Amino acid sequence: MRVENQIENGTDSKKSNGLSRMVYLMAPFIGIGIMLILWFSASAANPQAFPNPSAVLLLLYDLLFHPLSGYTLLGHVAISLRRVCIALFFAMLVGIPLGILMGWSRLMRATVGTLFECIRPIPVLAWIPLMIMWFGIGEKAKIIMIFIGALMPIVVNSYTGIKLVSPLYLDVGRMFNASSQSKLLLKIVLPAALPTIFAGIRNATSMSLMVVLAAEMLAAKSGLGFMINRGMEAYNMTLVMSGMVAIGVTGAMLSILTNMIERRICPWNSHTKSE
Amino acid sequence: MEQPHKVRVKLEHISKSFKNNSKSPNHEVIRDVSFKVYDNEFLVLLGPGRCGKSVLLNIMAGLLTADWGSVSLDGEQIKGPNPQIGMVFQKTGLLPWLTVMENTEFGPKMRGIGKTERQKLAQHFLNLVGLDGYEKNYPYQLSGGMKQRVGIARAYSNEPKLLIMDEPFGALDAQTRYNMQNEILDIAKKEKRTIIFVTNNIEEALLLGDRIILFTSCPAQIKNIYEINLPKPRDSMQKEFLRLRREISDNTDLAL
Amino acid sequence: MKYSLISAATLIVFLVVWEALASHDLLVGKYTPSPLEVYDAFIFKLGNIGPDGALLSTNIIASLKISLLGFSLAVLIGVPLGLLMGWYGLFDRFVRPLFELVRPIPAVSWIPLMIVWIGVGLRAKATIIFMSSFIPCVLNSYTGIRQTNKVLVNVAKTYGASNFYTFLHVGVPSSIPLIFAGMRVALSNSWGTLVAAEMLAASAGLGYMISMARTFGRADVVVLGMVVIGGIGYIFTAIFSFVEKKVNKGGVV
Repeated sequence: MRVENQIENGTDSKKSNGLSRMVYLMAPFIGIGIMLILWFSASAANPQAFPNPSAVLLLLYDLLFHPLSGYTLLGHVAISLRRVCIALFFAMLVGIPLGILMGWSRLMRATVGTLFECIRPIPVLAWIPLMIMWFGIGEKAKIIMIFIGALMPIVVNSYTGIKLVSPLYLDVGRMFNASSQSKLLLKIVLPAALPTIFAGIRNATSMSLMVVLAAEMLAAKSGLGFMINRGMEAYNMTLVMSGMVAIGVTGAMLSILTNMIERRICPWNSHTKSE
Repeated sequence: MEQPHKVRVKLEHISKSFKNNSKSPNHEVIRDVSFKVYDNEFLVLLGPGRCGKSVLLNIMAGLLTADWGSVSLDGEQIKGPNPQIGMVFQKTGLLPWLTVMENTEFGPKMRGIGKTERQKLAQHFLNLVGLDGYEKNYPYQLSGGMKQRVGIARAYSNEPKLLIMDEPFGALDAQTRYNMQNEILDIAKKEKRTIIFVTNNIEEALLLGDRIILFTSCPAQIKNIYEINLPKPRDSMQKEFLRLRREISDNTDLAL
Repeated sequence: MKYSLISAATLIVFLVVWEALASHDLLVGKYTPSPLEVYDAFIFKLGNIGPDGALLSTNIIASLKISLLGFSLAVLIGVPLGLLMGWYGLFDRFVRPLFELVRPIPAVSWIPLMIVWIGVGLRAKATIIFMSSFIPCVLNSYTGIRQTNKVLVNVAKTYGASNFYTFLHVGVPSSIPLIFAGMRVALSNSWGTLVAAEMLAASAGLGYMISMARTFGRADVVVLGMVVIGGIGYIFTAIFSFVEKKVNKGGVV
């Protein structure tokens, strides 16, 4: 395709040809447009399985004002978010120092680190049955589950961040009177590791959303996962889709918020978008 | 040039090898190097790239220990990093999370010097390197040359007795490099210190050095010591300059 | 050397303490099996169908089948997609908005839809696994090819290579390290999502096994399941890291 040959590596977007420039600008909309068309036709053919997108949006709007099982849409969002935030807070409280210590001290790595590495391969969701047996299906159980899920990426990233600090910075520190262990750690290693630690927090946030969803789908009376579950039980696909959209939007918002916070705390980071 | 021939730094029989792994034999990097450094002189260590010079510098700075021999500054042996020695790194090594001012005042701050005093100190050197106005910028906003100037200001701000510069202009483009060479001459004239400067560029060595110690390639040994008595700033087209350059060039080992 | 010993010692101490606490009922909740009980459960499950209805080996194979299927699909579709998106700007513009829409939605929430669309069988679960592994594959391939050294690309161009040829022979090889990293994440994602999928809608597999064991109060089988799940996950990661190291030996000069 002639248009494709004019594009190099996706970075050179200077189009000399008017038509190709138009195509380039319209492309995103064309893509979404095609998908919407497919969706609408599928939903016309089988409304039970493929909820009409407009119906989904209408339902979402409706849920803003009319409670479902006691909570409006925003109520459910708030409940899910509350669980995530509490768990994230504790995960950061425990995980960041733990990861830092593990990255800094070989002894810690050999002791606590070994235990951690044994627990790590167990997927978060595999803890659910055990957690239910131990803590039932109350709030505490769910928050603990999310905590476990969020803890892993935070510890791993904090640990990696510390380990991967450039030796150059350590040399600089030693040459400029920051040679004591505590000074090196606080003034050089920690700031250098901050961006990686933030990446861990970002991972933990998306992991938390996933866990809260699973936990709510399995055993809850409120929250977005519960909403989806209700839809599933009642074969109300529109409700299910609404839940998914709500989660997607919530996740995106959380992600934006985390990025904003990171940019305030780490202004020196020319943030490249990679995961 | 008047030189009180007071010895500031003495290296005696420095040798250093690196073990690669248990299979290959030790990689000898420095073999029996001894020399003296005089008060306020600009000493250049010249040699082919990638062999021993940086290691020697790191030993002098206290970042590495020699297998054999000793280094002493004003009679005291150097066993570890020492605030009396300032270092300018080839890769600059500015801490990215600190502003220019915070980077420059880092040394004094770590020593516990009060805010007004250390900021005055840092400001003085930032002005000297021509970076006044950039105090609140972050390193990522600066060009290579500017970053290295901060590196120089930072080293000076720590009020060291000895300044070590490890190929500080090696990563800069030719134009910036010429500018920085003139600048460092200027700075060295205004703020007299004992300076040890490493480079692999003969012309740079001749432009800057009061004395040049020429090293062999791996393992590094002293090949020759040249005293350059030309007045500074030097003209690289001058007859004597070119003669010295030819002489040193003929004597230099080629790097592998 | 000393540290390996400390690691081993830590493990042993941990097991001993766990055994001691569990046998005296000093741990959380009533259902905490001791290591020995877990081992007994292991022996038991090797030959016994209860309480979930299948042998341990049957469950393992069922889980492996699905997760590897979903994972392979994700790699086969996701990696080329990511590479193409990263190379061809126009393609990127088409596909990206759709991708960004789907991305924030956790794989788990696709489960109900999948159940309705495809039912509860193998295909449904594989699709859910696919969704969770798909994203890291695409993302890493995309990032990998975007950081292709422009110098190499220009070298190819000066020798008259077409865009596609350069893509195939310069872009792709230099993205391999990141592709492998993405595949590693995808595999562990797939394994994790599998467990959830099995807990919600399955009749065999490790997730199903521990879910069922819970309803029967068999904490020992639950923990056994967790250990097996973790163990296999660990083996996956180990294999992958090994392959990665071999492939990365050449690297990009």
